Amino acid sequence: MINPPSDNRPAWCPGCGNFGILKVFDRAIAAAGIDRNRLVLVSGIGQAAKLPHYTRANVFNGLHGRALPAATGIKLANHDLEVVVTSGDGDMYGEGGNHFLHTLRRNIGLKMFVHNNQVYGLTKGQASPTSDEGFVTKVQTHGVILRPVMPLALAIVEDCSFVARSFVGDMEHLEAMMTAALKHKGGTALLDILQPCVSFNKVNTWQWYRDRVRPIDESHDPFDRVKAMDLALRWGDEIPIGIVYRSNRPSFESRLPALEKGTLVAQFEAAEARE
Amino acid sequence: MDLNLRIAGEAGQGVQTTGGLLVGALAEMGLHVFAMQSYMSRIRGGLNWFDVRIADEPLWSGRREADVLVALRPEALATLQPHVAKTGAVILDGECRDGCLGIPLAKVAKEMGGSDVMANAVAAGAVFAVLGYDLKPLVDYLSVIFKKKGPEVIGKNHRCAEEGARLAASFAGRVRGPKPSGRPVTVASGTEAVGLGAATAGVKFVASYPMTPSTGVFTYLASVADAYGIVVEQAEDEIAAINMVAGATYAGVPAMTTTSGGGFSLMVEGLSLAGMLELPVVILVGQRPGPATGLPTRTAQQDLLFALHAGHGEFPRAIFAPGTPEQAYHLARRALETAHKFQTPVILLTDQFLADLQVDTPPLDGTLRPIDRHILASPPPDYVRYAVTASGISPRALPGGGAPVVLDSDAHTEDGHITEDLEAHVRLQDKRMAKLKGMAAEALGPERYGDEEAETILICWGSTYGPCREAVDRLRAKGEPAAMLHFSQVWPLDAGAVRRAMGLEGGVKRPKRFLGVEGNATGQFAIVLREAGVEAAVEPLLQCDGMPFTGEAIAERTGL
Repeated sequence: MINPPSDNRPAWCPGCGNFGILKVFDRAIAAAGIDRNRLVLVSGIGQAAKLPHYTRANVFNGLHGRALPAATGIKLANHDLEVVVTSGDGDMYGEGGNHFLHTLRRNIGLKMFVHNNQVYGLTKGQASPTSDEGFVTKVQTHGVILRPVMPLALAIVEDCSFVARSFVGDMEHLEAMMTAALKHKGGTALLDILQPCVSFNKVNTWQWYRDRVRPIDESHDPFDRVKAMDLALRWGDEIPIGIVYRSNRPSFESRLPALEKGTLVAQFEAAEARE
Repeated sequence: MDLNLRIAGEAGQGVQTTGGLLVGALAEMGLHVFAMQSYMSRIRGGLNWFDVRIADEPLWSGRREADVLVALRPEALATLQPHVAKTGAVILDGECRDGCLGIPLAKVAKEMGGSDVMANAVAAGAVFAVLGYDLKPLVDYLSVIFKKKGPEVIGKNHRCAEEGARLAASFAGRVRGPKPSGRPVTVASGTEAVGLGAATAGVKFVASYPMTPSTGVFTYLASVADAYGIVVEQAEDEIAAINMVAGATYAGVPAMTTTSGGGFSLMVEGLSLAGMLELPVVILVGQRPGPATGLPTRTAQQDLLFALHAGHGEFPRAIFAPGTPEQAYHLARRALETAHKFQTPVILLTDQFLADLQVDTPPLDGTLRPIDRHILASPPPDYVRYAVTASGISPRALPGGGAPVVLDSDAHTEDGHITEDLEAHVRLQDKRMAKLKGMAAEALGPERYGDEEAETILICWGSTYGPCREAVDRLRAKGEPAAMLHFSQVWPLDAGAVRRAMGLEGGVKRPKRFLGVEGNATGQFAIVLREAGVEAAVEPLLQCDGMPFTGEAIAERTGL
């Protein structure tokens, strides 16, 4: 057998936005005061989905597109765990699009950090659900015809309780957004993170994003759903970053009678102890 | 002696309610009961029927002919009157010709009870009269089931039943019922038995997408969720369901999903995930005829090879196939125990026939008795999830337990992290597959019933237990020695034990003939036997028309 070399170093390209996300992620975990023993990172498949392997936490690196249902099962079995889903735009908005929609409907206490680079990296450059119209690839040879998914707008439609966007090129902003999402109590937090793919997206580059991202004005009231929707629909010459929307909708797990007596795992162990 | 009572009508007309009422009242009298249903995939209309077979000895299957037919619609007669015994009786809701008994059931219910909903009580009263039974047990049973609704509703139901019996006076005792023992029996359906087995084993999380004929287990578990502390979630699709269950088992609770063939097809990638991550995922697959949507409300045993081979890559699994509600209760627990002991997915293979049948069964214990999850309570600081062991079973810790628990659907090293190291891949693959040996050593062997020296042996699995058992009894009653071997675990098999049970080795007389009784077109279990290393010529005795086997049909088809 010729065994190729294998180690635990990140499998990302030099200059990839994922490096910055990882760095800020570790800082935000510390800033939010999260105990890593209770931290579970859930991901699907793709280059972003490998992030959990490069930090220290409990990890459930499952199937392509299926991070959200797995995370839902984990959170319902033990809602004392801090469950963070960290995966790419293809995984979360494409292959897992149905789960994305229904997770928002549940408003379960998961944090979703979506590395959005508007392209498929690991499969080498096909369109992603967030690729802009006209984006040319080896498959979409005449350019993408489909309208891009608008994750923030979808989340607001379903009354997701925390909806934000950031850009890895502004690490201070990203840390603030990640920390706010991690500290958010009471339901799903969606953080869409704009991140250049240096190998396969020659359109949406570091510079392209830098020229367009605009921090949301401090006067914006994130509890104003109509104004939030207006911000969420903006894309193109100006891309707003910051907390777009918040709501006080109670979390899914807080509404389940079966969880009133504690986590399911604790209830099972209590029954075990009575035996 | 036994009798078969058949209630027939459109969907939504009260066929099930009337059947259920008869089952309950007759069981209270101490009769043995075997009930089954034939229904169509619709909410209203069509032709459904509910068979209640009663006897003074245990019953194991249904039968084709009815002794009493209650037709809630005249249209039912065209299809079902030809299958009424010559000595039988027909009751029709309405005017009647040709010697049947016409009783305007709905009209009487409206007059006596104020609502045509009580037509079931009128019909039950009439049936009791035809069977020559005293009405008191039926009246008492109505008092019990309507206790919560109060004396007024009870009184109305009593009057309906009494009027039904009065209007059937001309037919009184025409079809003499078997003698009841007076000792009430408990009745269980496959659906509630499997659900109760899972609930009492400590299932804490259930995620499913509704699909006939598994939906009953899903709703049963929802109905006991408050009592047992279970979170029951209707997932957006079957893919979500199995991935939710995988997540819940990772976090440490026994969890399961319920589906049928089409939904199971969607779960297959998740099944492979459970194999790779070594998670104790339990999937109940209630079979119905396929391919594709097939016949949603009918029965089949067509998904055995699919359940055995579903999922890309190779990983160990166990498959249980209960034959009776009692077995379903015990095997639901066994499935969860096996999944946890060996940290691998387990499939419970049932079907529409078993799900819907109701039979008198010893009382099933409803006490919560949590299974052993085989969890490492205090993992060491250098804990790794996939330590290589001789048994292939790695000590399992839970997230939040003090050491990180890392899982990856990619090939991984002992610590669960992604790797492309081929040596590590082989090491971990060998570890996973090693579990199969331990699983085979613990496999449940076949249950034998019948004559020691039988030359003809029926080989069966899953829901055909009862029909085969009745067939054996029928053959023996004719003086033909016969036996059956029923497999309630269909994978893995302990090949040596199976060969001995079949008389293929061990110095016993080799039976002349094996008949494989299966609800499919290809003799799938005979293929499984060969795959397990059991070489025997198994003659097919197959049926895949969507209807369950009956004991009489199997006995006849043996040619003995």
